[in-house]
Amino acid sequence: MEELFYREKDLFLQKLHPTAAMVFICVLMVLSLIFTNPLYLAGLFLCTGFLIRELQGLKSWEFFLKAGLLMTIPVMIINPLVSKAGATVLLRGPRLPAFGEIDISMEAIFYGAVMSLRLLDVMSVFCLYNIMLHPDKTLNMLERFAFKSTLVLSLATRMFPAMLRRLENIREIQAVRGVDFEKGTFKEVLDKYMNLIYILLLSSLEDSMEIAEAMQARAFGSGRRTCYIRIPFKPRDFICTAAGIAALFAGIFGAVKGYGTMVFYPYLGHLISREDILLLLFLHMMLLIPVFMSWGWRRCRYFR
Amino acid sequence: MPLFQVRDLHYYYPESEKPALKGINISVEEGEFVLVTGGSGSGKSTLARALAGLVPDFYGGVFRGEVLFRGRNIRCMDRRKLYRHVGMVFQDPEKQLVKTEAEAEIAFGLENLGLPQQEMFRRVAEVMDFLDLKETKGRFVDKLSGGQKQKIALASVLAMQPEAIILDEPTSQLDPASAEELLNLIKRLNEEMGKTIVLVEQRLERCFHMADRVAIMKDGELTIEGTPRDVAAKSIACGIHFIPPVTRFFTEMGFSRIPITVKEGRRILKENIPQQDSDAEPIQSTDFSKSKQIDNGCCPDPASLMRPDFDRNAGAILELKNVWFSYKDKENVLQEINLEIFPGEFLAILGANGAGKSTLLKIMSGLLVPDRGRVLFCGNECGKKREVYRCGKVAYLSQNPNDYLFQDTVEQELCFTLKNFGIPDGGRIDRILDKLDLKQHKNKNPRDLSSGERQRVALASVLVIEPVLVLLDEPTRGMDYGLKAALGTCLAELDGKKLSIVMVTHDVEFAAEHAKRVIILHDGKIASDGPAEHVLGNSIYYSTQMARMCKGFARNILTVEDAIKRLGPVLTQNRQAFTERGSG
Repeated sequence: MEELFYREKDLFLQKLHPTAAMVFICVLMVLSLIFTNPLYLAGLFLCTGFLIRELQGLKSWEFFLKAGLLMTIPVMIINPLVSKAGATVLLRGPRLPAFGEIDISMEAIFYGAVMSLRLLDVMSVFCLYNIMLHPDKTLNMLERFAFKSTLVLSLATRMFPAMLRRLENIREIQAVRGVDFEKGTFKEVLDKYMNLIYILLLSSLEDSMEIAEAMQARAFGSGRRTCYIRIPFKPRDFICTAAGIAALFAGIFGAVKGYGTMVFYPYLGHLISREDILLLLFLHMMLLIPVFMSWGWRRCRYFR
Repeated sequence: MPLFQVRDLHYYYPESEKPALKGINISVEEGEFVLVTGGSGSGKSTLARALAGLVPDFYGGVFRGEVLFRGRNIRCMDRRKLYRHVGMVFQDPEKQLVKTEAEAEIAFGLENLGLPQQEMFRRVAEVMDFLDLKETKGRFVDKLSGGQKQKIALASVLAMQPEAIILDEPTSQLDPASAEELLNLIKRLNEEMGKTIVLVEQRLERCFHMADRVAIMKDGELTIEGTPRDVAAKSIACGIHFIPPVTRFFTEMGFSRIPITVKEGRRILKENIPQQDSDAEPIQSTDFSKSKQIDNGCCPDPASLMRPDFDRNAGAILELKNVWFSYKDKENVLQEINLEIFPGEFLAILGANGAGKSTLLKIMSGLLVPDRGRVLFCGNECGKKREVYRCGKVAYLSQNPNDYLFQDTVEQELCFTLKNFGIPDGGRIDRILDKLDLKQHKNKNPRDLSSGERQRVALASVLVIEPVLVLLDEPTRGMDYGLKAALGTCLAELDGKKLSIVMVTHDVEFAAEHAKRVIILHDGKIASDGPAEHVLGNSIYYSTQMARMCKGFARNILTVEDAIKRLGPVLTQNRQAFTERGSG
């Protein structure tokens, strides 16, 4: 499980200024949400994949994708069942009380698949955030705006791996006390796991008082705070931020002009036009700039 | 003017009718090292919190009396100003660190004080150098050892440059090596930097001599106060045992000169008993000394592990044969472990953090399956499908008893285990509650009980199945002398002919008092295995204070009781002869 969390690997992308990294991740997220064209979404997916590979986080990506795929299955099944907007009906089913007549159309299947791809894009961006940004640095950046919420996040980040370990300990304790997590009906197994969460919650609530006390003893909440970590904004941060912002503007421009989006209903629209190719090329060139820089950073001292 | 002055302090926690502090009067001079000790619930931690301004500010409750810092009432002081002058380090390093990275953690207090960045940078750098924390720089707090985490907590307070540092049992969660290192640092802070130290502690053998003044608390009151030597003399007279073993021995032997360190103790012994060669026979031959001496690294003679009531013919309850184990991110946590545990045996496993002690215990319980080697429980092979714990004959108590407690009453907690194994009650619950002195809490919520009682409830919840093997992972963590003695009594009652107990512990004194056989693990291997008297008596590091003092005078002495029994007659005889010569 620990592979899922940030680990210092001394990599270019981890050394970016948190603002530059955050801007870039936000751009990827926004673009994933505004595009509906599967080619654009597939391109974003690949760009995010290259970035994750540069961060040596393929194992972590695998976990996120598996979780994402689990979530996409209901989308892929339910959408064709409930959507009646598609004109090309492939299968006519019976009439069901809540759903009405079941018509499975090609457009609805395609829409479900594209939305699943979008979900995988979003999951990949979360994965990228998780392995690229040092939690303390991100939170230090954010705490100037909302310190208390940020501190709660910081504590949660620090406590999460410890809580996972504790949950495993509680599971072991329960096993030794005769609880068999594999035996019983689904409800019984669920109840056994709920007991684990309940014990964790009880113990964590007791611990939280001690943490709060230790914070007060170190003058927390005694007045205006200052910030210890100040990371200089270097030219490389500027280049990555500029590339991200350029990709964002290009994406918004394209979306306003009708590129990057696709018509699904009642009939599928065009997948690609000449302008789409140009926009795709520009977007991906911008989004891959940090990947090239990371590649160069490993090989050429001038990048350092 | 004293740095702290406490006048007639009374304090009640919210919703509590029993006072936590009753009429406390104490003053602490600048640069002084004050050790506060006492039993669980005696009010020592509350007093520490009152000095740090956390009581009643953080807890609320009813507060009467005054705590003055340099003549000013702490409650009237600006909080930021107060925390600039008074810092506090708590018991559990896990529960006082906020940030994810070590350096950021040290700077946390400085950020709260609103210091300029350059000043923070200077202070963090200085503190990291002083406490030798360079290797933690850039590392995740979660990945550090307990000792390093506690040093980070101390560094974070030290960076705020307080005049007084209050430490509430800072070593209770640490292994002996880390505890020793931390206490030495605290001593340096007092001696080299002139910091005023108020240390609340229960492991006295390592810090009693460091203090300028010792205060012993009982039921919220300050019962004895004075220099370590005065306190040692008075405490025995009052029947209080909060003094180190060496001091207790000489006080109980009626010496007027009372030592507080091993060095002083050895000097007195030298004056009274002729020192033996290390090769020479011990002063008095007993059953213990007949057993074969075992050197580190050597395979023990199984016969030497036997106790008088120990039935080896019955066959081993648990056998580990050439066991190897690795975690995903750590290789060879256990290597070539060969071990046999017989009915009625009480075995203690000692070793540094990360030596593989808890892993070994989990292998024994069947929670982990070895990568290589065999685990045989009562002669039957255990594997993935035949975990040891499934048979309902093994009880395992982990480090944190709180993780056992989730039912509404103590009785339900025990019923839960019985129900899972499909065992009928048949009076088992009442029997075990009676044995562990928990009968009066049968219908109480286990989370409403004190830490020692919770520990006993957790123990009862696994012992109720009447197992043949009990595995205990650091059962004395955070326990005071009284609770340890109570646990020892419980275990002694359980330690019948059939029941075997295996205990992982850092508490050498507790192991010496109760275990019959001791194993020292080092880097996943068994470094030493043999009768407690031999392993602990011959160890350089894992030995008790009494063993260190008696080395060269008599062999196989681990506890005060051993020493009184073995050296007592000789000492009394020599002293009488000396007195007679003097009068003649």
